[in-house]
Amino acid sequence: MKQLDIITEKFQSESVVTRELTVVDKKYGLVIFPDLSDASTIRAIVVALEAQRVPFPLDKIKTEVLFECECEKNDSLEECIRGLLSGDVLLAAEDEDGYLIINARSYTTRGVVEPPTETVMRGPREGFIEDLKTNLSLLERRLKTPDLKVEKIQIGRRTDTTVAVCYLSSVASPKVVKKIKKRLNQIDIDGIVDSHYLVPYLEEKPLSMFSQVGVSEKPDVVAAKILEGRVGIFVDGSPMALTLPFIMAEDFQSAEDYYLRPTYASFVRVLRYVGLILATLLPALYVALQNFHYKLIPVRFMITLMSAIKGLPLSPQSETLFVLLLFEIIREASVRMPRAVGMAMSIVGALVLGETAVNAGIISSPAVMVTALSSIALFTVPNQIGTMSILRLGYTIIAGLTGLFGLTLSVLFTLHYICAMNAYGAPYLAPFAPMVYTDFKDTIDRAPLPDMAMRPDSIPNINRRRQAK
Amino acid sequence: MNNSEQTSTLSADTSKEVKQTTSKQLIAVIFILALATKMFLQPLFLVKAAGRDAYIALAIDGGFDIIVLIVTLIAMKLSPDRDFFELTRCVFGKVGSRIIVCIFGLYLFFKLNVAVSETVSFYSKNILTDLDTTLLLLILLIFLVGVALHSLRALTRLNEILTPVIVTCLAVLIAIVVATGFDLSNIFPSLRNPHEFGVALSRHMTWLGDFSPLLLFLGRTEMKKSTVPLCVVSGTLGSAISVFFSVVMCAAFGNVTSLVDASTNLSSILQYSLGNVYGRIDLVAEILWSVASFIQNALFFYCVVRCFEYVIGKPLHLVTSLGVGALLFTSLSVAFSDPSILSLLIVNEITSALVASFSLAVPVLALISAVIARKKEGGEKSGQSGGNKNAIRSTE
Repeated sequence: MKQLDIITEKFQSESVVTRELTVVDKKYGLVIFPDLSDASTIRAIVVALEAQRVPFPLDKIKTEVLFECECEKNDSLEECIRGLLSGDVLLAAEDEDGYLIINARSYTTRGVVEPPTETVMRGPREGFIEDLKTNLSLLERRLKTPDLKVEKIQIGRRTDTTVAVCYLSSVASPKVVKKIKKRLNQIDIDGIVDSHYLVPYLEEKPLSMFSQVGVSEKPDVVAAKILEGRVGIFVDGSPMALTLPFIMAEDFQSAEDYYLRPTYASFVRVLRYVGLILATLLPALYVALQNFHYKLIPVRFMITLMSAIKGLPLSPQSETLFVLLLFEIIREASVRMPRAVGMAMSIVGALVLGETAVNAGIISSPAVMVTALSSIALFTVPNQIGTMSILRLGYTIIAGLTGLFGLTLSVLFTLHYICAMNAYGAPYLAPFAPMVYTDFKDTIDRAPLPDMAMRPDSIPNINRRRQAK
Repeated sequence: MNNSEQTSTLSADTSKEVKQTTSKQLIAVIFILALATKMFLQPLFLVKAAGRDAYIALAIDGGFDIIVLIVTLIAMKLSPDRDFFELTRCVFGKVGSRIIVCIFGLYLFFKLNVAVSETVSFYSKNILTDLDTTLLLLILLIFLVGVALHSLRALTRLNEILTPVIVTCLAVLIAIVVATGFDLSNIFPSLRNPHEFGVALSRHMTWLGDFSPLLLFLGRTEMKKSTVPLCVVSGTLGSAISVFFSVVMCAAFGNVTSLVDASTNLSSILQYSLGNVYGRIDLVAEILWSVASFIQNALFFYCVVRCFEYVIGKPLHLVTSLGVGALLFTSLSVAFSDPSILSLLIVNEITSALVASFSLAVPVLALISAVIARKKEGGEKSGQSGGNKNAIRSTE
């Protein structure tokens, strides 16, 4: 059959299967990609076709024979091949142009489980999976409103990945939505295999150390963000949803904060901010004080410190950098190793290496303690680990060279850089700079929900009120 | 539902930050500018010359600057949409405007030299004595160039985020100073030699004009009804705080001249007077001062770069910033190689007179330009409306 030959000529792979069948006196042809299609659906299509008493044309088959299936007549060869590669079945008929694309997609997907990156003690335990349809259904189940708009875009010349842009049309800023869609449409790439591939295209400063796109695996988190006026982006094959616009304060918020008592949630948030400051600055301060400003160290503490560092071959800066790098190596190795071995690695790293190095007089116990405290504090804000690890190393080097002078300037430099970031109309450091007092209710503080009557001012939106007065 | 409830005020749709600077950010900038160099008796030469009466000199200095501030704020109020460059272009034409901005830029460059030299000297003489001044200068320059690459908005946001920290630190310091007490009688009798004081003051006018960078905020700041009075309060408060600390220092040491040679920071005095109990206040005090001072340097640097960019006629941020940075590095390297050059250059009647007149003349010029531009604009509008009336009449 001519139509079947046209399709098979396009494919190098032998995975494409074609079958011809005759009903009464009319010939039909089926093009199937069995790896991606559901066998029972294909069987049902064949049975339904053979059961025809009068052979229908393709247009009629859609309404008369396969009425319970999702199918569409299409004359574009490109569209038909795209459908076939997604698991659809193509039906061609003798003396007719075009194909009927019948949905027979079937993928092996894993179940909806709690995401390992965002575990909670309280609250929903559902997490996104790799299947876009499932992910959208998880979101739609939470946002049962006709305002929820899901717009699909195909990206990737070879992967032809479906990307869904989700937002509330009555809340999200049209300018932001337009800008996001424009940027997505401009992507011309071979393939997208995960949502993270889109991140550099969506960021204002792709070379920046700071992430400018929110990432979440939890439907409740994404739904809450969409409710605040953000736009969610889902990619077929990725369990990570992206949210935009993004501000830095989001990294200090956890889904669980909203399920805990406000007082405790606020306390935990303060701890996160303190933790991040400690994590980034503690080693640098330790080095700066020891190298240049030892007069500032209290006398009793100074005596203890002196006895601990006595006879060390390394300078305070070198030993702190050594311990920091050691920690980074152990962390990286533990993450990459299989779980059981990773545990052993951590023990070897922490106990054997650390303890032995101190006993051998290579590094001092205060340096190990400072690094350990800083590293533990770093884990209070998991999304900032990468960025802050680099900053911590940088600050320690600068503090070792120029003391508090250089340290203060480098912190100011970093802050100024963040202050200049302003993606999609949302100042990155809001609500601190610029000060948006109303948004403090959900930043350091976590006010009770009835007090948060308005949507955040820092995120562009066209409908501020979210609760009745 | 009212309008404010319908749209996000900060958002891209209806932005609170339509202007480069918000009213609150301007107030914070003024507070920091009033505080920065005067805190911890930074005008070294002035303090040396005025001796125990240094606090009076600083108060007079602060008072003069408040007048300059008021003039600048009125100009801002009169020109809510036109920036300093547009204003001068509107009144003096393209060439005239460039000449004025060039002179203003040179004046700011001089002030920048003084401010940066003080900051670096403070560190190299008191805190990081082992380190080479050039290294400190280079690190500061990297920060300044980084600041000039971004917009005024970024700088004012940075200032906004740090001001609460600085205010908190100040409150802690003031509380400790007041709780511990100081012998105020040490500052009396004041003005024992008024003639000498007058001469000293007349030779040390270089430290006037701390609010000069505010001219770059013209037309870029959201001006509310309460902005001007709050800005004046903020400036006065900043100046008052720096005068308060200079009183404390003068009271603690009697004659500040010896103090200036040894160590000029407040924290040293606190340690001296309070013993080691509150020794860690050093850290707070130093960071507090440094931050304010660095921001002031950054503002001056930013303004110099933007002025020169305007004169060149092209917004080449990186090239101009690097150029100004290189110039600053060269001039300060010469100054640091022989401190007497710097003192000769900045402590004399001619420089003092020039700086004093510039610090007042430039805001006055901006004010006059704003008035003229307003009148011109009014004339154009009435001309247009007159035209419209005629049109209506002709239709009738």
